[in-house]
Amino acid sequence: MAMRELIRSRTEIGLWSQLPGWLRWGAMIGLVQIFAMVTVGPLGVSTAYPQFVGFVLDRIFPGFAQDQSYLREIGAQIGWEVMLVFGLFLGAMLAAALSRWRNRSLGLQISVAPVAVKGFTDGKLRRYARAFLGGFLFIFGARLAGGCTTGHILSGLTQMALSGLVFAVAAFGSGMLIAKLFFREPTKE
Amino acid sequence: MDMRLLLGLVTGIGFGFALQRAGFSRCNIVHRGLWLKDFTMLKVMLTAIVVGLVGAHLIGTFAPDLVHFKVKSLYLWGVIVGGLIFGIGIALGGYCPGTALVGLGSGVGEGVSAVLGGLAGALAFIFAYPVLKPVLIEPADLGKVTIPSVFGSPALPTALIVAALLVGVIVGLGRLEQKGASR
Repeated sequence: MAMRELIRSRTEIGLWSQLPGWLRWGAMIGLVQIFAMVTVGPLGVSTAYPQFVGFVLDRIFPGFAQDQSYLREIGAQIGWEVMLVFGLFLGAMLAAALSRWRNRSLGLQISVAPVAVKGFTDGKLRRYARAFLGGFLFIFGARLAGGCTTGHILSGLTQMALSGLVFAVAAFGSGMLIAKLFFREPTKE
Repeated sequence: MDMRLLLGLVTGIGFGFALQRAGFSRCNIVHRGLWLKDFTMLKVMLTAIVVGLVGAHLIGTFAPDLVHFKVKSLYLWGVIVGGLIFGIGIALGGYCPGTALVGLGSGVGEGVSAVLGGLAGALAFIFAYPVLKPVLIEPADLGKVTIPSVFGSPALPTALIVAALLVGVIVGLGRLEQKGASR
């Protein structure tokens, strides 16, 4: 108990904690980007999905990775990209666990206000099905375009690449259209 | 363990931690962003880009061997069509490929579901690639074009100007938010 109080009071002192969250964690992501570019290369996430799928299926059906031209190009191995994505998952889990632990006395939990779809009462099953479809499309689209929010927008604009700019405009354009057409206006949290 | 694998893991942990703290575990942040109700998502991304842009180009100018650039090709049809499909995906899913894993790591059900959908989408793309490649990826490929390569301008000054413009956008978004809140 005393330990937890100490950690909380410690972390709330100083300039760092006075800055708004988006600035702190946005700057932190920028530093991670520089670290990545100095050590291996710009950050990217979506390549890891087909690499991982290829790796697993090649274990189950030997020769699968050799037969698919896409996997011959990107490789079906557990490399830097897949480890980065695995780390991403671990880092998020760590951050979530720490904030749960620190806020336990306040009774805070991570809660998600459901996103409402026009004309429906949004049940759990429907939300999960929609997230699945969304996931399917965002990886398919990202692989077709050659990158996702991380590879094209974050890393692309960091390198002033026009491909990132074109991707960002297309993605936000269609995303905003779908959100306006099919979803209710979000309420204040 | 191979050094590259360890570096990937460490980089990923830092990236995931920051994304989670920035609020990307909740799928409604994307939705609120697309409705222009909440610029958190945009401000986080723009801040990260400004820091990376200035940092990478400072290193790239004074110690070019220390930093690895890897610009993606602008093959117009694939990038545009892929971007449009991607936008539909993030609007429906409330996540992007990276933040879905943040949702998964934070124990949000939609995150689990979106990652599974992503793996299915990856398999579908592996099978569709031979058909899509000659139609959308190979034609109209403008190559690895960047703002400095188009204008023939030196990298670091261009990076500083772009960074200043992006800071302007961040400040502008903050103003817009305040206006929205006072209404």
